[in-house]
Order: sequence, then structure tokens, then C-alpha cells
Amino acid sequence: MHPYEGMFLVDPTLHAADSEAVETTVKSLLEKHGAKIQKFERWDERKLAFEIKGHKRGVYLLVYFEMPGENVDAMRRETRIIETILRQMVIRLDEDIDTYLVKSAAYYETMKVEAEARRNRREEQDGFGGRDAPRAPYGSSAPGGEY
Amino acid sequence: MAIKEKRDKKFKRVSARRCRFTRLGVEFVDWKDTGTLQRLCTGQGKILGRKRSGSCAGFQRRVSLAIKRARYMGLMPYVGS
Repeated sequence: MHPYEGMFLVDPTLHAADSEAVETTVKSLLEKHGAKIQKFERWDERKLAFEIKGHKRGVYLLVYFEMPGENVDAMRRETRIIETILRQMVIRLDEDIDTYLVKSAAYYETMKVEAEARRNRREEQDGFGGRDAPRAPYGSSAPGGEY
Repeated sequence: MAIKEKRDKKFKRVSARRCRFTRLGVEFVDWKDTGTLQRLCTGQGKILGRKRSGSCAGFQRRVSLAIKRARYMGLMPYVGS
């Protein structure tokens, strides 16, 4: 049994019609191959970067599970037959799922902080003569005021 | 003079910068983090070279792998905007 991260891109129209059914197809497929699902997450319907099997939009299902390594190939092969699954990505994790999830949360936290810092930096730079730059109150820097 | 000072300042700032990932102290680059990965691509979706992105060797490899995974799943474009 090894920890895996699996992402499944599913047909958005079928998912909209019966999300329960689509999600159980994925779950039962994994369980059939001896997976123990630890976390199941759904990313809401979003636009794809390009068309995949005639779909411009898609729903992503992100699953963290443990599975015997020898079953992974068979499971992936089977996803090609199931029409609801458009694409799949299964990645073996280096550490167990709980540690990975903790690390992942920490990762996104640092990235969020960094994005915030970047925004502040940009504001500082743009502030130089920018339209939204804070201005000194009118008249306070009147030329010749020193004299 | 003013121009020279400005240029020197700019140059110093760029040269002082290190790999953004080692600076942040993260251990990996998540392939699902399209926000970060998008900044390491050109507008056309090409992966920025190491000199452009400033990444160190290890993270440049991780970034390129992450981008390729994200592309396969349709999270990021292979080409075009």
C-alpha cells in the first residue's frame, strides 16, 4: 500500500446532471482496485485551458488514497474505458497522506503571504507618480514655501 | 547622474534576488498551484528559462515538471493565451 494523489477530470454535463453518480463511479473504481480513500475533494466546474475530448469546461475530483502499487496501472487503464472520466493523473506521494496535506497547507500559506507581499511591493512601485499614489495635501508643497 | 543612480539601483535589486522558492523555504512546487506556475510562464504559455525566472537548478526542474503536469490536466495551456 502506497499513498497516491489522484486527479480525475470528469465530464461536466454528466456531473451537473448527477454529481453523486459520477463521484461514486470514481470512488468505486478506486475501491475496486483496493484503494483506501482518505480525502475526496471536488473542484467546481471551471474552464479548461484547451478543449479535451470535445469539452471546454470540466469538473476536477481530487482524491488522496492508498493503494497497492501493482493495481495502479490496471486502474489507470480502466479510466480510459469509463466515459465520464476525461483525463486522469495519479502521482505517488513521497510521504504519507497526512504529512503531505499538512505540508501542502503550509505551502499554500507561504504562497499566499508571498502574493500579498508582491502586491504591496507593486503598489509601492506604482505609487511613484501613479494615479492612485497618495498625494500630499494641496498647497503643502507649494514652490518657494521654504523661503 | 540621476539616471546612472537609478540604473545602478535597479541593477543591484535584480542581482541580489535569489531563487524565489529557496528564498521562501518551500520544499516542493505544487502542480495544482496554477497561480504561481502562471508567473513562471510567458503570456504564450512557454516556460520561462532559468535566467528569466531566477530559479535554482533543483527548482527549475520541479517547476517544469509541475507545469507539464498542469498542462496535461488542462489547468494550463500548452500554447497561446
